[in-house]
Amino acid sequence: MNLSTSTKALKHILQRDGASRELLTTLCERLQVEFCFEDPEQKLLWGTRGGLQKTIPFEHEQVLLGTFYYQSDNALALLDALKLLFQKEWEKKKIGKEVLGLYREINMIYDLSELISEKIDAESIARVTLQEASQIIQMTHGLFLMYDPDQDRVNQVAQLGDNPQSQAYIDRQRDVLKELIQRGTSAIVPAERIAKNPALKHLKTVMYAPLKVKHRTLGMVILGHEEEVEYTAADLKLLTTISLQSATAIESAHLYQKGLREVQEREDAIRKVHDASQKFVPSEFIKSLGKATITEVFLGDLVEREVTVVFVDIRGFTTISEGMDPRDNFLFVNGFNNRMGPIVRQNGGFIMQYLGDGFMALFTGGSQGALKASVDMHQALRDYNRERSLKKRPPVSIGVGMQSGKLIMGITGDDQRLDAAIISDTVNTAARIEGLSKHFGTSILLTQECMDSLTHPEDFDFRYLGQVQLKGKQKPIDLFECINGDQLELQQHKLENLATFDHAMELYFKKEFAMAAVTFQQIFKKNPDDYTAKLFLNRSAHLITQEIEDNWKGVEIMTTK
Amino acid sequence: MNKKLLIVDDEAHIRMLIEQTLEDLEDEGVEMLFAENGEQALEIIQKERPNLVFLDVMMPKMNGMEVCERVKKKLGLSEVYIILLTAKGQEVDRQKGLDMGADRYMTKPFDPDEMLTIATGILTP
Repeated sequence: MNLSTSTKALKHILQRDGASRELLTTLCERLQVEFCFEDPEQKLLWGTRGGLQKTIPFEHEQVLLGTFYYQSDNALALLDALKLLFQKEWEKKKIGKEVLGLYREINMIYDLSELISEKIDAESIARVTLQEASQIIQMTHGLFLMYDPDQDRVNQVAQLGDNPQSQAYIDRQRDVLKELIQRGTSAIVPAERIAKNPALKHLKTVMYAPLKVKHRTLGMVILGHEEEVEYTAADLKLLTTISLQSATAIESAHLYQKGLREVQEREDAIRKVHDASQKFVPSEFIKSLGKATITEVFLGDLVEREVTVVFVDIRGFTTISEGMDPRDNFLFVNGFNNRMGPIVRQNGGFIMQYLGDGFMALFTGGSQGALKASVDMHQALRDYNRERSLKKRPPVSIGVGMQSGKLIMGITGDDQRLDAAIISDTVNTAARIEGLSKHFGTSILLTQECMDSLTHPEDFDFRYLGQVQLKGKQKPIDLFECINGDQLELQQHKLENLATFDHAMELYFKKEFAMAAVTFQQIFKKNPDDYTAKLFLNRSAHLITQEIEDNWKGVEIMTTK
Repeated sequence: MNKKLLIVDDEAHIRMLIEQTLEDLEDEGVEMLFAENGEQALEIIQKERPNLVFLDVMMPKMNGMEVCERVKKKLGLSEVYIILLTAKGQEVDRQKGLDMGADRYMTKPFDPDEMLTIATGILTP
């Protein structure tokens, strides 16, 4: 407490309007006395000298604060009151000062944490720590040391003032410093110890605190002064607090950098997963959802498209696979898929799903590419069968069915397991059409909807096969076979008899079954592989003897799926 | 004429802190006034016309924003220099305060040295 604080306290009581002044005034009136107060510079703080003769010096802690002038001894009661009021005011001021001091510390620590939270490296944090500490603790020198366990070395991370100790010196003193750091305590170094330590000979006052994080000590902060300023327990506590803050910041900076590294690693991993998953989830599918990569795909994403769905099925797969062990079986399917996949992609489609004995492909740009791919696949299969026959393996045949229409692609599942899903009647229908291709004995079977979305139907040759009503469906579907997928000989035959076949179909729909049967018979006779002609021959022949309803339209009602 | 300084905060210890921080101004003849809430502050401002007001934002009854708006906009006392005290993390209030006509803002915990420098600059020629 300096003079000015006591003087201020006195001035507050005597001069500032308030309860104290009021009390003193009232007391003077009641006791009918007067008093006068002069500060040491003879400046009047209360009353007038007038005829007041007696004086009493007003002291506080051996310091003269002024003179109390009075006449009547009754006025001494006022002096007592004044002393009491002064004591209270002075205490209030003293507490105020202490609180302000604490407040400054809080503010400094607040600033420090704000400053160091912006830093992401130990060096900057160390530098800021020493600078901020020097704002509030009397110091001329500071040293920020950290222990590096990997290299078993104590490093000078930052320093303040002119420290004669070099890193080389620190290296020499490593074991002592290391031990001090690992002890993790804070202390004010006694003067005699400072005097004995050559490293500290430029200093008169020294204290240090550990850089502690939980139970580990990262290093220590050493502060010192050239002069003999006495460090108090409060100073040490402050340094400990600052060091703690600093250590935490360094630790989180370290974690932050580790976090950055981990994010990087995770991104790499995601990229790898993405590359791998592209093979399972077609990137076309992801792109059609409007996303760049699979990692952007979220549950519930969906998109609606006009598509052509193509189902490809290996005929007689069960028979084929019966003669093979599982490994050969797998290799066979793989060999098949390896041949078909590129054809699908070349024609603008992508394979949505492998089905074991076939697959489902999607084409988004109309059915032209889908049909081209179907024809090409049959071509590739003929080449494949030639290879197989050389190895004395039985030929493989496929059936293709397709349908065009709306399709919703999306991501379904839960947050643990996501999968590409398509919700579409088009898919169901395409699968059923493929099933029908077996029934009709066609290599490629398609619908009116596919025919309508062909950009160049003239590239292919078709035979109309009438209408079917699928099980569970109301609307009949017009079916066409594309003959370009057939064996070349059969293709030739169908081409030559195209007009005859169409005529036979006309007769059939006109219920002229006998004529139709004869015409189909002609075609079938020319090539017994024309299974479709045989099918309609049998149907016509069967219908000749049947009672036909008036509203018969030749729609074949499918009772099985 | 003596300069007047008004400290407005509902918390007694903050008033004491600011008083302690600015005690040297009393030696320069600056008179310190105190208010515990917005209403009281408004009354003192109208009566005493302080040169500088440290005004806490978060107060019961009438908050600092309202006081500021009344003084600056309704009463037109533009010569009363108002410094708003906002808690850290309520930075949104800053712009709002400046819109209400406050001359400046400080955040709590305030830096005592900064506060004294600012107040001295405003109150002593």
